[in-house]
Amino acid sequence: MNRTADMVIIGGGVNGVACAYYLARRGMKNIVLFEKGYLGYGATGRCGGGIRQQWGMDENIILARDSVRMFEKLSHELGFNIFFRQGGYLILISDERDYDLISKTIPRQNELGVPAELLEPKDIASLVPGLNLKTIIAGAYCPTDGTAYPYAVLWGYAEAAKRRGVDIRLHTEVLIISRKSGGTYEVTTTNGTVHTPRILNVAGAATRNTASMLGIVIPTKPYRHEIAVSEPLKSFLDPMVISIRKGFYFSQSLRGEIVGGIGDPDEPSSSSTASSPEFLFRYAEALRKTFPALGKVRIIRQWAGLYDVSPDARPIIGTVDGVDGYYHACGFSGHGFMLSPVVAKLLSELITTGKTSIPIDSLNLKRFSEPGLTRDPYVVG
Amino acid sequence: MGKTIICHCEDISIEELFSAVEQGYKDIESIKRYTGIATGTCQGKCCLIQTLRALASGDDRSSPKTASESAASTPLKGIAVKMPTIRQPVIPARIDRIIKAGEKAVKKATGKA
Ligand SMILES: Cc1cc2nc3c(=O)[nH]c(=O)nc-3n(C[C@H](O)[C@H](O)[C@H](O)COP(=O)(O)OP(=O)(O)OC[C@H]3O[C@@H](n4cnc5c(N)ncnc54)[C@H](O)[C@@H]3O)c2cc1C
Repeated sequence: MNRTADMVIIGGGVNGVACAYYLARRGMKNIVLFEKGYLGYGATGRCGGGIRQQWGMDENIILARDSVRMFEKLSHELGFNIFFRQGGYLILISDERDYDLISKTIPRQNELGVPAELLEPKDIASLVPGLNLKTIIAGAYCPTDGTAYPYAVLWGYAEAAKRRGVDIRLHTEVLIISRKSGGTYEVTTTNGTVHTPRILNVAGAATRNTASMLGIVIPTKPYRHEIAVSEPLKSFLDPMVISIRKGFYFSQSLRGEIVGGIGDPDEPSSSSTASSPEFLFRYAEALRKTFPALGKVRIIRQWAGLYDVSPDARPIIGTVDGVDGYYHACGFSGHGFMLSPVVAKLLSELITTGKTSIPIDSLNLKRFSEPGLTRDPYVVG
Repeated sequence: MGKTIICHCEDISIEELFSAVEQGYKDIESIKRYTGIATGTCQGKCCLIQTLRALASGDDRSSPKTASESAASTPLKGIAVKMPTIRQPVIPARIDRIIKAGEKAVKKATGKA
């Protein structure tokens, strides 16, 4: 392979394939996407598939809300069932501080069109019978939140992108990027070299490494997050149940399995995706405590993936001053899947028109060289 | 001809396996997730070896081929016949048993200290 392209996308995660699709839909030709493994080898293929609009900052509420509107139509648009199911998200609150925060935030979520509501324990009991509510003082619930099957979202976007001419190269790793005179980039891969005027760097937790090939410093760090799945059970649980404070969540997939995880506040930054028994012990305990009847259920598999975490746990999206034709999106922590339809669409607007229909300037890399960072208190992990 | 079921937990036929390959899912990790093979309660203990064998011999089930022979044949051209990542727990483990094992491990660790 030795050729030119109009656009090189690095990374076959949800952001890469979705952006390839939206760029092709906008008429861009000659797009090549490189993925060092298979589609979903990074965080996307390891993620919980949760999609929620209950956030603290307007920025996240709006991006998640618009993503949900896109997820609702995505199976139809892509001609591929993404198994999107709006079973809602139930946030369990066991702490006065969380109660204050969440009850103050819900009116703002409602103003922005997100139908979240505060639930009393008795409402929680009728929504999800079987939950142990001993330490629960309230809940927050949004019925239009939900889940989708991450692989199906990847494949749906990838198939639709391929039909529009996108060249997806699997098992092809980007090794070197260098700037050539005349404003082009030379991208060297394990499978040949491509010359291109534009690069989209969406390599997940490795985005900082590919950016550093161009001298760009991205202040994100990778953190392992573990997750497990149970044997399939008859459908009994509609919402994704989460505790923001404990970094704990579980939901029931359409196949009936309980999929869930719990963060570890002491987890050091690393690129390890090894599974640990300690995680399984903590997860099992949290799950049985929250839903005692699940004690008799069997776990069949556990795995791990990387959260790419920025200093304020908000994504880094956009351009970099002085590096023309370069774009990136990373730092999605544990919520990059749910934001991906809208993020990819906005990136495609930015790349083809220089503007975006929703302002994303506040997410530019530049913010880290300015004083004061704001963190969304609804971030898990 | 009837269907040949290759994955019993998830009820997946050999035809579905080959159809996935034809659609471009040529990687055992992708095949697994696209078809569901080896994702059920047995986690591949019953079906994986059958799947790999089928991938290695293609749809000609009378004469099994080696991996390199199958790599040269269609529709299985370009497929890498290898094992997917094997992960814990090795056998399905009940949540209350896991909790017990965790408590034991903690006791052992603190007892020694
Ligand atoms: C356990 C876990 C649970 C999660 N749960 C949720 C959830 O419920 N909801 C949610 O919204 N988010 C969740 N997330 C976060 C979400 O998975 C990520 O934010 C999102 O998938 C990021 O997508 P991406 O396309 O940016 O990156 P990735 O999916 O990581 O894709 C990047 C790709 O780039 C490839 N790559 C890297 N370097 C190179 C190179 N040099 N050349 C070629 N290719 C390269 C990688 O192989 C990878 O496939 C979870 C994450 C984890 C780990």
